[in-house]
Amino acid sequence: MSTGTLPLAPARTSKAHRPEFLRHIAFYIFLTLGLSFTLLPFIMMILGSLKTNVEVLRVPPTFLPENPTLNNYLTIFNDPKLPLLRFYANSAFVAIFNVTTTLFTSALVGYMFAKFEFPGKRALFGWFLTLMMIPSHITMIPSFLILAKLHLINSLWGLVIFSAVDAFGIFMMRQFCETLPNELIDAARIDGASEWQIFLRVILPQLSAPLATLGILGFMGNWNAYLWPMIVLQKIEVRTLPIILTWYNSTHTGQGGLIMAATVLIVLPILLVLAYFQRWIVKGFVTSGFK
Amino acid sequence: MNPVRKQEKRSRGGLAITKGRFVLSVTIPLLLYESLGIFVLGWAFLLMFFDYSSGRLGGPILGLGGTNPFVGLDNFIEMVRGTSVEAGLFRTSLKNTLIFAFAVLPLNLAITLPMAYMLESIGERFKALYRTIYFLPVLTSSVGVALIWMSMYDPQAGWINAIIRMFGGQPVVWLSDPNAGFAGVSVAMWAVIVAYLWQDYGYNMVIFIAALQAIPQELKDSALIDGATPWKAFTKITLPLIRPTMLFVCVMTMLSSFQVFDIIQVMTNGDPGNQTQVLMLDIYKNAFRYQRLGWAAAESFILFLIVMGVTLFQMRVLRTDWEY
Repeated sequence: MSTGTLPLAPARTSKAHRPEFLRHIAFYIFLTLGLSFTLLPFIMMILGSLKTNVEVLRVPPTFLPENPTLNNYLTIFNDPKLPLLRFYANSAFVAIFNVTTTLFTSALVGYMFAKFEFPGKRALFGWFLTLMMIPSHITMIPSFLILAKLHLINSLWGLVIFSAVDAFGIFMMRQFCETLPNELIDAARIDGASEWQIFLRVILPQLSAPLATLGILGFMGNWNAYLWPMIVLQKIEVRTLPIILTWYNSTHTGQGGLIMAATVLIVLPILLVLAYFQRWIVKGFVTSGFK
Repeated sequence: MNPVRKQEKRSRGGLAITKGRFVLSVTIPLLLYESLGIFVLGWAFLLMFFDYSSGRLGGPILGLGGTNPFVGLDNFIEMVRGTSVEAGLFRTSLKNTLIFAFAVLPLNLAITLPMAYMLESIGERFKALYRTIYFLPVLTSSVGVALIWMSMYDPQAGWINAIIRMFGGQPVVWLSDPNAGFAGVSVAMWAVIVAYLWQDYGYNMVIFIAALQAIPQELKDSALIDGATPWKAFTKITLPLIRPTMLFVCVMTMLSSFQVFDIIQVMTNGDPGNQTQVLMLDIYKNAFRYQRLGWAAAESFILFLIVMGVTLFQMRVLRTDWEY
């Protein structure tokens, strides 16, 4: 509270001080309750993964594992039907490939829309805006039929070919490129750089901050994607992590400890990575308004 | 003519050519790629007028016609007043989707706005920590969220029933009792709503926090100095100022909950007795399990109309921007 030089101010603050203090105490209590509600399922997941399958079924349930064991994890590591590294590689391939291509195309096309004039530009950009608003469930069915015709069902390439251009990324990059000074580009032209050199050596480095935001959002979306990968990847070996997790769940019913261990192994590592980059993700959400 | 000027002119013409080449080398591949997108959209549009199954060979063009006959608007007429099982299921799914979305929206706001306000007014050090933790579920894969909540909802060994028993209550079969209900909505639906809210509230919280931070501190202070209670300052100053954010959050929450799929598919797969069957789930099952692709495309179009309606509403209402 700004007190200024008003003679009245000190009296006011001391009067206002007590209720405000109490208010903050109440806030902390509420926020901590919410915090526990948010954290508890994660804690349950980790504790559950350390219990034996017998203990998991006990009524009433134990909170802390009686005899904490890593057996569930060992079972998973030794399960030849669940080569986790392979599924991690599948997920990583799709996510990294899609993020790299969309970052490149978004920067390039966004730059072009921002800094070049050409006939039909407005119409083309309008078309992109329209594309941005079309939900993916509309295109899901024909896309699947196309993949079937191309024999790309059960291939990780099937998750890649429709994802090279991201209308939202182009939109975001165009907005950012518009803030770049034209002098920067003209100076490079005078120095004799070709247009592609200008894009790669002058523009791209300037875009690193928004590209990082876009990249981490894209990575998260690709990594956690469920519906489309489930449709495309029907064979077990080629699956990505979220579909493997549901498959593992459905083949190990009643073995709660094992399922929680698999969930920890599949969910937690990437969650920690994303939590580390949280600042950027929040910034991306807030500035773009898209999930 | 002055040789220097001539040279300049030539290089300017040269520049236009190199620029044009660059634009062409970007737009031509882009247009080719996007024409694939148009083709896919056109196909999606055509499919909904056919009784199309991927199990049948059909006509020569895209498998349309022949054994996959053109049925005009029959799919839509059937949806509105048909008596077939799939028409009934569509209407159930539509109803469940609306229940889900209209339950999620107020609950979400009732959690996220007060929490964001409280978070915004506490000390800087705790703020960052609290926000990070509240945001964790947003970053978690929804399959993981679904499995964790399934284990907590377990009727025997689950934690939620353990707490109910502790207080002497009757344990509830959360995810598979077709006869249990609360406030006219099935218990299974409430169960998936709670799991969904848990995963989602961190998102709206950070949006609200950003909006609250954008309000100049002097505005809030001056109201308090003028003798307004914190509640009055909140309702008369803060709330009107974050009105655009409120609208935005409402629309985004609606859009994502109309298209909910992952959590419900894993937790209940539409059970018990189709009480949690939502539109996306019905579309998925029709298209990829029962091979009724024409029907599923028609359903997708209805969902698209709903989503589009909400989006257009947002664009109309949000056009007036606030300045402060």
